[in-house]
Amino acid sequence: MPNLAKLATSRTEAAVSPPVRPEFVVADLKASVPGEIRRELIWRERILDVTAVRRLLVLLTLVLLWEAYARWLSNPLMFPAFTDTIAAFWDAAVRGPLIDRILTSLQVLSMGYAIGILLAGAFTGLAVSTPFGQDLLSTLTAMFNPLPAIALLPLALLWFGLGVPSLIFVIVHSVLWAVSLNTLTGFLSVAETQRMAGRNLGLSGVSFVFRILIPAASPSIIAGLKIGWAFAWRTLIAAELVFGVSSRSGGLGWFIFENRNQLETASVFAGLLAVILIGLTVESVVFRTLENRTVRRWGMQR
Amino acid sequence: MEKKGRDVLAPDGVLALQDPAPLLRARNVTLQYRARQHLVTATWRVSFDIYCGERFVILGPSGCGKSTILKAVGGFMRPVEGEIRLSGQPVTQPGPDRMMVFQDFDQLFPWKTVKQNVVFALERVGRFSRREIEERARDLLAKVNLIQFADVYPHMLSGGMKQRVAIARALAVRPDILLMDEPFAALDALTRRKMQDELLQLWQEVRFTLLFVTHSIEEAILVGSRILVLSPHPGRVKAELNAHGFGHQEVGSPEFVALSKRIHDMLFADHVEQAAIHA
Repeated sequence: MPNLAKLATSRTEAAVSPPVRPEFVVADLKASVPGEIRRELIWRERILDVTAVRRLLVLLTLVLLWEAYARWLSNPLMFPAFTDTIAAFWDAAVRGPLIDRILTSLQVLSMGYAIGILLAGAFTGLAVSTPFGQDLLSTLTAMFNPLPAIALLPLALLWFGLGVPSLIFVIVHSVLWAVSLNTLTGFLSVAETQRMAGRNLGLSGVSFVFRILIPAASPSIIAGLKIGWAFAWRTLIAAELVFGVSSRSGGLGWFIFENRNQLETASVFAGLLAVILIGLTVESVVFRTLENRTVRRWGMQR
Repeated sequence: MEKKGRDVLAPDGVLALQDPAPLLRARNVTLQYRARQHLVTATWRVSFDIYCGERFVILGPSGCGKSTILKAVGGFMRPVEGEIRLSGQPVTQPGPDRMMVFQDFDQLFPWKTVKQNVVFALERVGRFSRREIEERARDLLAKVNLIQFADVYPHMLSGGMKQRVAIARALAVRPDILLMDEPFAALDALTRRKMQDELLQLWQEVRFTLLFVTHSIEEAILVGSRILVLSPHPGRVKAELNAHGFGHQEVGSPEFVALSKRIHDMLFADHVEQAAIHA
């Protein structure tokens, strides 16, 4: 401390009388413009700016690593190569039941997802309009959100039997709480000024929810929809693996299960690849488009 | 202070002759709100009248409840005592006859373009035809010099531009009274000055009635034609003063300095008294 004080005094002593310097005014600013205010980006900078290109590079690296490892291992029963998987995928898609399986899964999935979202909408609508509704929803989400949907499958089978209703039940469970929780959080974090601006225009009740709260909370709502979709997809595949085929046609999970039983490991990989591809497509096409048209365009999300 | 009591608070001549009944009348308004632990009394028996075409400024230090009064006039909260009447009707809920411009920049709806924000307000009011809505939106945006930004989303605008859109949106619906809650406080000093000038110019053109809240003495004198001075904790009426005809040219003038010193002394008189008691 004493050292510091000493330093400070010596500084001030040195700065007691700064030099008085002449003033100046630049007459013509145009003469002093730098050469490069804006320039075109070179092609490498521009290409690397495209997210799709960068992601594709990552994918390509992963595929190369996979192929190299599989060839080195050379045990197609345990770990088939990328090329084998693609061949099996093609075979299953063109001659086999893969497309059929995918369609069955997607059909069940979209039903469960839609019902889940509608219920979530109803719950959060109730939650923002009444204090009791908010307590109800908070308690329910706290209870059920951490509960894995698949744990409810035995109960669902007991109640609804082997078949689509059981699958839909577990999907709804996995979607409902994730979407509700996100939507409610979004609603609660809408700025007070924005609420007042809406009420100032005479908005209240349902029209207030639809014209102010939902658009204002759209980043959270879309995040919730994304999480809900991923949960639903996972739950469905897992559920199909557990109880396999329902009535006449099975889904993707069943396809994977069936091929494992027959030790067609390349086809198991092909089934998993299909799961990943669908997940990737929905994420990067459907949700990305939705975000680009809404929250990104409005500057509510980067 | 001999200038107290209702008799001396007579409205200024010309306006009073045109319209003897005040547009907005606040009588003995006591406002309370709940904090985490206790009930806070923000204002205590505040009364004032605002006449048509007036630029009425509520001035006071932070904690004098000036924003709370504005919220009550806006219909966002109810007085526990007294009442607020607009054209004789008691204020009970928010409505577009009292359009509010807030301090925060996020009062615009980010999912609507500049023009859509104005159009949305006009549609909500439901008083205008499709063509009128289009015309009024363009007209008001032109008045605040933002017509070339009509199709831009609010996040691409600067703070001052956002406030101008908010003012355009508020004036477009032709409210009975425009409420402004420290609308320029979050702006930099240069932009603030420009906005004050523009607001006065807009008032020259449109002649709306304004209720403006600020904690800046200079802004109060510049913007206001009549100033209500509040004392803090809880807010009580300290004085009502006239401040006609002060523009930015008059900032250094003796009259301006005198008025500003008078208000300054008023606001700080209590502090001196308190300091004397403590000493």
